[in-house]
Amino acid sequence: MAPEDRQPFSNSFRTSAFRLAIAYCLLFTVSVSVLLGAIYLITRSVLANEVDNVILIELDALADEYDREGQAGIGAELTRLRDAWGRAGAIYLLVDPQLQKRAGNLSSWPFAGVPKERWLEFDIEALRDGRMVRDPVRARVVEFPDGYRLLVGTEVSERRQFQERFRAATLWAIGSTALLGALLGLWLSTRLVARVRAISSACQQIVGGDFARRLPVTGLRDEFDSVAVAVNHVLTRLDQQTATVRATFDSAAHDLRGPLFRLRGRLEELQGFASLDAEARGSVDHALKDIDSLQRTLTILLQIAQAESGTALAESARIDLGELVQEISELYAPAAHAQGLDLACDTQVAWVNGHRQLLTQLLANLIENAVTYAGRGALIRLTVRAGEDGARLEVADNGVGIPIEDRERALRPFVRLSRSASAGSGLGLSLVVAIVRLHEAHLQLEDNAPGLRVVVQFHAARPEIALQARAVPPEAAPHVNATV
Amino acid sequence: MGTGRNASTNMRLLLIEDDPEAARFILKGLRESGYSVEHAADGRDGLFRATESRFDAIITDRMLPHMDGLAIVQLLRQQGCETPVLVLSALGNVDDRVRGLRAGGDDYLTKPFAFLELLARVEALLRRKSGPPATTTLKVADLELDLLGRRARRAGREIDLTSKEFTLLEFLVRRAGQVVTRTMLLEGVWDLQFDPQTNLIDVHISRLRQAVDRGFDRALIHTVRGAGYVVRDDGA
Repeated sequence: MAPEDRQPFSNSFRTSAFRLAIAYCLLFTVSVSVLLGAIYLITRSVLANEVDNVILIELDALADEYDREGQAGIGAELTRLRDAWGRAGAIYLLVDPQLQKRAGNLSSWPFAGVPKERWLEFDIEALRDGRMVRDPVRARVVEFPDGYRLLVGTEVSERRQFQERFRAATLWAIGSTALLGALLGLWLSTRLVARVRAISSACQQIVGGDFARRLPVTGLRDEFDSVAVAVNHVLTRLDQQTATVRATFDSAAHDLRGPLFRLRGRLEELQGFASLDAEARGSVDHALKDIDSLQRTLTILLQIAQAESGTALAESARIDLGELVQEISELYAPAAHAQGLDLACDTQVAWVNGHRQLLTQLLANLIENAVTYAGRGALIRLTVRAGEDGARLEVADNGVGIPIEDRERALRPFVRLSRSASAGSGLGLSLVVAIVRLHEAHLQLEDNAPGLRVVVQFHAARPEIALQARAVPPEAAPHVNATV
Repeated sequence: MGTGRNASTNMRLLLIEDDPEAARFILKGLRESGYSVEHAADGRDGLFRATESRFDAIITDRMLPHMDGLAIVQLLRQQGCETPVLVLSALGNVDDRVRGLRAGGDDYLTKPFAFLELLARVEALLRRKSGPPATTTLKVADLELDLLGRRARRAGREIDLTSKEFTLLEFLVRRAGQVVTRTMLLEGVWDLQFDPQTNLIDVHISRLRQAVDRGFDRALIHTVRGAGYVVRDDGA
């Protein structure tokens, strides 16, 4: 497991809830835009139709007038129309076949020549608020049989204003939709993160050995509650199974240790008989040594089983790995020296959550392994370093080392590498592996060139929550002082 | 057993053990060492006897008919009984010792054990009960330990010791005349519960011996075969 797996949801923006909210927000914004766009297009076409209809009606009426009264009548009619109807933005122009103005409120024919399109759009210049502005005009021209042409149009600057207002309103609408969506998403994800964090912290405590703990159930009967209830159910079952496993260990151990103890007692009694000759005494001594090694193997097997089953975590505590290594190094140094090896120790304070007795066993096994395999004259170096991602333990020797192809095999139970026919049950490294796994640590056998380097990477001990909350980047503090 | 331990004839012990063979072996050993021992074969009887009369120490197995050994300890402690208790166990959990001590046991021993290991621990319990006087110096023969300055002198001459060696020597001298086993040293001096493959403690003792006994006629640190070590002044 990578160390970063243990600190989930450090940031609300990285949660799936937030991503989902953003996605919804985007979708919503897009659909609002499409909707508003459609409304805009429809409204614009309705407005345009209205303009066109008015022009067509007027054009028809004026054409009739021209037919009846001729061009003299239409000039007066145009003036009358303008005053009577008072249509806002109305544009009229009557031109002769030479396109010269005869009547109307437009100063001159706005086109070069005669355009072919039936609907025409052009700009006119008008004085508004003391400024010349260009206004768009939509118009239609009718040609009379005598070559005169009548143009009827409407100044449509209002249409442009409508466009602009509509666009502004649309942008505001989309903007506030996006903002509301983002806020809602943030709120939702913060809420979800809080729920998930409560569950994940409970999980960490359970993994850390607090087996009686359960996931929080809020009573809201939501999906989190149903997950929590289901997980709690599983935990209870596991608890029962753990109890069963423990009972099994106990009875297995009891049934083996009882007879071993009786056997040992009888042999010790035998030892006490004065009549025993030297040969028999030697046999008894050997038998007692065999019992010791049987007992040791049994203990290791039980420890492996317990480490693998996780039941041992109930007694885990915050331990300074550096201090423990120092202690054990001091314990082993004279014995290593007596066997012609050197034991050097270089440690830092490095807190881990662990089982002290099993960690002791792990260190002892690694050191004993190194002493056995590295051989006379070797240097065994113990190192503990505290890093951001946890404590790193190294047990390195400059002995023969383990060839790469044998490394994985060396970790399996009851395997002794060829050169080590002598001591040990062959379970030492298996126990190490089990203890490493129990602590969720990571074990690696590396080439120390020459020799073997065993690296165990532990997670950092879970810090107190108060400490975590108060953690301030060190460089921030002087700035505060400087500005005061 | 020929270990030259103190007479312990007046000491009364109670053994609560259901395995008859194991009980026979332990009873025999304790009686040969001069203790008067009563035996209870199940938990209920054990608790009854422990509350009925006064013992100097109680040795109880954990898995007993009718009643768990730890429950007996807890009940005794609740009744205000301060008698030191040594818990024996054939159980297999690495945390049994911690639980045993937490329940109020004074010491914990996993089966199978050598009888001398049991004997040494019982003696340590009995000695602890009488309690060492609060003092700043310890003395055995011409060996003197200054506990405040953490310095040792023999015949007036300063002995050069590391901090750990001093702690080891202090542990032994505090229990002068009493056999101290290797596991007792591991637990008491190094605060470690494990079973090393090699004779780690022997090497430490031999270094300590070099520092304390070399150049003197009378050795103070003695090896007790099959058991452990004892600091004792044989000369007088």
